[in-house]
Amino acid sequence: MVDVNTILTILLYGATFGGVLALISSGFTLIFGVSRILNFSHGAFFMMGAYIGIFIMQQLNLDPITSTILSILAVGLFSLIAYYIIIYPVIKNEVMTIIVTLALALIIEQVILLTYGEFGLSYPRMISGTLSIAGVTIPILRLVILLISIATIGALWLFIERTRLGKEINAASQDAEGAILIGIDVNKIFAVTIFISAILAALSGTLYSQMYAANPFQILNSLILAFAIVILGGLGSVKGSIISSFIIGFIYIGTTTLLGARWSEFIALAIIIVILIIKPTGLYGVEE
Amino acid sequence: MKRIERFWRMQSSDLSYLIGFLMVMAVIPIFLPETLLYILGLTFIFIVFSISWDFLTGLVGEVNLGHTIFIGIGGYVTALLHVPSRFEGTILSPLANIPELPIPLTIFLGGVVAAIFGVAIGLITLRLKGWYFALVTAILPLLFIKATYVFKDLFGGEEGFSVGLGKAIAQDTFGKYIVSLAFMIICFAILYGIKNSKLGLTLIAIREDNTLAEALGINIYLYKVFAMGVSSFFAGLSGALLVHYRITVSPDLFDVPLMLLIILAVVIGGLGSIVGPVIGGFLIYLLKYWVLKVYLVPYIPPAFPLNDDIILYILLIVIAITMPHGIYERLRKLYTAP
Repeated sequence: MVDVNTILTILLYGATFGGVLALISSGFTLIFGVSRILNFSHGAFFMMGAYIGIFIMQQLNLDPITSTILSILAVGLFSLIAYYIIIYPVIKNEVMTIIVTLALALIIEQVILLTYGEFGLSYPRMISGTLSIAGVTIPILRLVILLISIATIGALWLFIERTRLGKEINAASQDAEGAILIGIDVNKIFAVTIFISAILAALSGTLYSQMYAANPFQILNSLILAFAIVILGGLGSVKGSIISSFIIGFIYIGTTTLLGARWSEFIALAIIIVILIIKPTGLYGVEE
Repeated sequence: MKRIERFWRMQSSDLSYLIGFLMVMAVIPIFLPETLLYILGLTFIFIVFSISWDFLTGLVGEVNLGHTIFIGIGGYVTALLHVPSRFEGTILSPLANIPELPIPLTIFLGGVVAAIFGVAIGLITLRLKGWYFALVTAILPLLFIKATYVFKDLFGGEEGFSVGLGKAIAQDTFGKYIVSLAFMIICFAILYGIKNSKLGLTLIAIREDNTLAEALGINIYLYKVFAMGVSSFFAGLSGALLVHYRITVSPDLFDVPLMLLIILAVVIGGLGSIVGPVIGGFLIYLLKYWVLKVYLVPYIPPAFPLNDDIILYILLIVIAITMPHGIYERLRKLYTAP
């Protein structure tokens, strides 16, 4: 029987998982909204964040927080290089953009597999210890992660709404041609957006692997979860994808707790397919 | 007028190359070792994966990233029909007592079930223009892979299951080779025929300009669903044939690496040409499962992060950037240049 304790656990764990998902999917939908690039390497940026962080900690003996920051910046830099070398030459061709970014993701997956193997790798935690709320024991780490996710999403919102660069990004996402006409350097905006979305993905990857584990197969799994979330939330809508991240987070943790882990992805994806049949544009999507 | 003439000349030159290629393929088994012959047979089936993907993505321009689900559905349908005892204790238990069916019939049924799924998915997802189709089809393979894990008793989980030696399409490698060669020729002839018919021109018109095609009175939604049905039917057939070729079925039929290999073959051959993917499929499959496996992978130092897949993916990126229309189009331009 489902008791209060189980419900509280689902709510809390679902919220933290949803927060991590919101970081991945908001980046994915942001870059799509601005540049119409479907970045299939997004899941690879997510896992690169975790593995580069682990690499820095092992090789340079730095503390988890510094290495996390360095790792996130490294992934951002990598995304810029990938944008200029691989994506930019084919940016006009949507099919090829999907193909090259997917190929890049699989290259990264193979490199990780060859260097770290196929087994999960734990990411040293920033903080340990547990807290008891209404009889439910929860690691403090989860609360911190939830706070970091919410703070980051808030910062992203402030950046887009309040800064000049953010407003330019917003303008380019509404109408790229119009943005060019009023003198916005759209190419620069695309690069900045890729950088931001890669940073969000990498941060999310380091947080995720502190709760669970870094695993090369998460590259495609997380990518597909991000797809599911942005489809549910409506392509290009950051608000929609944040809301649907939490919905998916609760469904995911709910099925894991009540039915077992092997059902979680199956149920989450099946629910999304059903929603798509009923409302194909998603929660906040616009018909194109 | 001149353009039309050139169009036909090109088609006939395609055919003459193709007939030459097929004659070589019919004679070659005499000279080849059995292992290579086995790989060549698999290559022909892989070519049908590629041309059936090209039929939707290349001709109509809808990026289907879940083509492998139809391959897998075809495979599991025929495999389950030959091992009906697996249905016992599931919701499909009435099927457990079906009599033994001939292999060609179950392969055909594999294609039919895949086409039913294809049309159903198409009816739901092709209503929307733009990127939804690519994203939704990208999700589906994972859903099917997870389904094989969740319903382990029926689908055999991660390892899949075997249909038994007696259920192979032919008892020796030469027989398998000939069956898959004949299968590829028939599938190619049908898809190439549709591509060059009025129907094919309609599909290409939709790819070139959705709005214009709609303005001309073409119901683009129905045509896209039709193309999806054809594409998934042939994918299902070839997936089912593959199961009887290697006598096992497993979730790797659904998986992303196979999808990428198909994309690679079609992109290298040239999207939307149906002929190109035959060349691309031939080159890529042999490159991966023969050339790289035998001549490269054993020589890579153990700690070095490089393998055959990485080389293929790098090749894919380079080809996509430098010649987005594929090798076939390149060659054709060279030959038809004034």
